Amino acid sequence: MMLASQTIDRTRAFPPRMTEFTQRFWQGLRSGRFETTRCDDCERLTFPPKPFCPHCWSERVRWVSLSGRGKLYSQTVVHAAPMVFQAEAPYRVGIIDLDEGLRIATRILSETEPRLDTAMEVVILRYRDGPLFAARPR
Amino acid sequence: MTRSVAILGAAALPVAKWQRPRDAEIQVLEHEILAKVVIAAMQDAGLDKSEISSLVFAQPRPYTQQKYFATFIANYLRLHCTGTVQEVLGNGMTAALAFEAAANDILLGKSRVALALGINFESAVPAVEHMMNSMRATGDVDFHAPFGFTPISWYAMDAARYIHEFKSSRAELASVSVKNRRHAALNPIAQFRKPITLDDVLAQKPIVEPLGLYEVPPRGDGAACLVVVDEEIAKTSGKPYVRIRGRGFFHEGAHQINEVPNDMIALVSAQRAGQAAYQQAGVTADDIDLAELYAPCTIIEVLASEALGLVPRGQGARLCAEGVTSLGGRIPIATSGGLQSRGHPAHVTPFYSLFEIKEQLTGRAGERQVRNARLAVTSAELGNYNAALVHVLEGVQ
Repeated sequence: MMLASQTIDRTRAFPPRMTEFTQRFWQGLRSGRFETTRCDDCERLTFPPKPFCPHCWSERVRWVSLSGRGKLYSQTVVHAAPMVFQAEAPYRVGIIDLDEGLRIATRILSETEPRLDTAMEVVILRYRDGPLFAARPR
Repeated sequence: MTRSVAILGAAALPVAKWQRPRDAEIQVLEHEILAKVVIAAMQDAGLDKSEISSLVFAQPRPYTQQKYFATFIANYLRLHCTGTVQEVLGNGMTAALAFEAAANDILLGKSRVALALGINFESAVPAVEHMMNSMRATGDVDFHAPFGFTPISWYAMDAARYIHEFKSSRAELASVSVKNRRHAALNPIAQFRKPITLDDVLAQKPIVEPLGLYEVPPRGDGAACLVVVDEEIAKTSGKPYVRIRGRGFFHEGAHQINEVPNDMIALVSAQRAGQAAYQQAGVTADDIDLAELYAPCTIIEVLASEALGLVPRGQGARLCAEGVTSLGGRIPIATSGGLQSRGHPAHVTPFYSLFEIKEQLTGRAGERQVRNARLAVTSAELGNYNAALVHVLEGVQ
């Protein structure tokens, strides 16, 4: 499933580190995919993606695509920001419960305050130096 | 083993901005301050320094230039120890873990007198710089920090959810700040003591919505020392003391958010740790006379007081606004002024909670004394109450 994306003409303020394992996730974002890992033994999903299953500790995991759809569990607007985010403040962040039963936290794209439990979708943000993701009301 | 652990002495520096800028010619340094606090605590206990055999430190902030601070202080105070000399670290839980490690040395028979002590100096480091550090201590550095979450942003999201689920309001939550400032006005070691109104709280600039400046913790410096002893020593001292009646700990196996969606504002760790502490103490929440909770923001005091069974679920904010958790109310919470007004020198904050409980349970709290206070509960946490360490304490006069 290809997710919507936005281009942002600056570099990421605090870029994530990549490992040999997680580069699949970050490179997937570049191609419009929002992926994580699922356990072949207990079939549970995890996020962030991990090279093992945190639930049963099996190392038989595979990459799967997520719909990027979910509900807004909570949100806030950060006014007092760390140094590297000063230029972006105030900015909105929140917690999304994905339809697949995973809870994630990310930046929220919305000019107005979205009601909690609103339907949301993940969007991919293409910065000059690499991707991030965010969520917006659907 | 029938050993029992008591707090016989305690001292705490008034919370304030003590740290001087790095380029100031004259500095206020951690070891000089802490030594005074240790001597005061030992005078309070009425014990000789030769009786101390364990030192458990809350690890200082990274801004403290003197590293290996514990062993440096052992030298500075010329203390020979047969139990342990160590520093512990666990985010906001740090000082509670240090207290517990000191208590464990007593329980294991390694020491009969152990100091739980520490100093947190950070106020000269600008907040924007400090947050570059603290944002990596909450959440996931690669999957959360890049979005700009700060430690208190997680609490703000608790507040938003609480207001949504329980039809509460920012004003109800803000009543916690008004109440805590009223308490702090009576506490000589509190950082902010001038009374404030609800309108004052609501008029402050937003920090992490819906919370404004007075609903989040100020930054400050502090130092404290608890003299933790075998209860036999406390008994023979003839002084009033505080006995540890119960403790409980729970880590929910999640960091900041649970990847398996749960009821985030139930604070399951505080519930579980509280139940364990009450059970060990042989009491219920109804038996508790007062509480000092680790609650950096107003919402967290509400959620922790609910999770520990001090007030019913979903009613904590409203009951605070109605005065139930005020001095003179049914269950006074944060008689010290709490983290918003007493202050929050994070790595030693749980020492300040225990210090307040010792003052209260030994009848020394002056104008803010809770009458006939005998049983108290304290909590410490890390993350978004992903872990909790709860103690039930009893005053012995």
